Amino acid sequence: MHRQRTVKPADPTAIAAVRMMRLYVVGGAPNSVQALANLERICQQHLQGPYQLEIVDVLEQPLRALADGVIVTPSLIKQSPLPVTQVVGNLSDPGQVLLALGLPGNSP
Amino acid sequence: MTPMSPGSPAETDHPETDALFAAFIRRLAQDASTLRAIDLGEVDAILDPVSSRAILLPETREALRQGVVVPTNQMLATLPAEEYQRLLAAGLEPVTLAFGDLLHEPGELIQHLYFPSAGLLVSLLTTLQDHRALEVGLVGCEGMVGLPVAQGIDTSSVRAVVQGPGQALRMESSRFRNALEISPVLQRTFHHYTYALIAQITQTAVCNRFHQVEARLARWLLLASDRLQSNPLRFTHEALADLLGVRRVGITVAASTLQQQKLIQYSRGNIKILDREGLKASTCECYQKIKDIFDHV
Repeated sequence: MHRQRTVKPADPTAIAAVRMMRLYVVGGAPNSVQALANLERICQQHLQGPYQLEIVDVLEQPLRALADGVIVTPSLIKQSPLPVTQVVGNLSDPGQVLLALGLPGNSP
Repeated sequence: MTPMSPGSPAETDHPETDALFAAFIRRLAQDASTLRAIDLGEVDAILDPVSSRAILLPETREALRQGVVVPTNQMLATLPAEEYQRLLAAGLEPVTLAFGDLLHEPGELIQHLYFPSAGLLVSLLTTLQDHRALEVGLVGCEGMVGLPVAQGIDTSSVRAVVQGPGQALRMESSRFRNALEISPVLQRTFHHYTYALIAQITQTAVCNRFHQVEARLARWLLLASDRLQSNPLRFTHEALADLLGVRRVGITVAASTLQQQKLIQYSRGNIKILDREGLKASTCECYQKIKDIFDHV
């Protein structure tokens, strides 16, 4: 599984602010599916601006995961804006994900 | 086959080997957050830097082999892994639902609760003695059907009918009540959803009384597409008229207006949202109010 989803910015000059994320998963595995569902919900609710999410299956591309310093899946890496941050697990804690994404958290 | 690193046990079904495997995994994952995720059961695989391959955890291998259903329902997906596993063990089971399936009728016992997956849409309708019915709530993968059970009530006050076919996970009411009693996490999740659903129902009541059909149609399409997570939507004018409690011609006029403004495209029951932001601008305040409440619970 390797797919990429981009929410395009309305203003091309805003491209520098695009939030880029990479989610390392095992396709079809319970925690990976949950992580993707949780991340999509968090992005829908909290990400106002454009973002790019790449989903990488580590069974197909383990070297990319190792190059990114990934030890376990699911792992979410926020690549930009800097600094690079990482969250591991099924992303069921929105506060932890928002913190890693550098977003103000207001979830219960 | 890529060799594993020295000392890495083979993947087998033997408990002793699995114990060795668990120890091997803990050697690789040394930071606190990774170990915590493993302890919570939130990890599927671990990357072995020596063999440059991903190694599935025993639980993941078992789940993939058995084809375990993974929730795309947001209430279930946000539960900690052990809470979800507990519900699965208590009798959560997959079910496929068709358009028009009646899940609950007013006054009848609620046999099962339903957690819709992405793609399934359920209308909650309040009925009158003259057989008329009006939609008061809309449930998709963000919520569940059968909320009274979570409040200790075993009968439904509304009709719950499938508007968009799809999959759900369901559970017998008595089993769910038992699971709820022992889980504060589950109780908190359902308290939040109760608040959000009541807010949706009250906002819908105000909207139906004060707002124009065009704004109400836009509100309904936006809410439905949020819950279905799909575009286009499949609904006839007649079905929409029944749900919104207006005459069919009213829906036809409103849909034509939205189509002329290039906000939607309507063809033979297929409604495609062309301009989501424009549709938001054309609806009343009710859509955003409902969305904000669901976003914050």
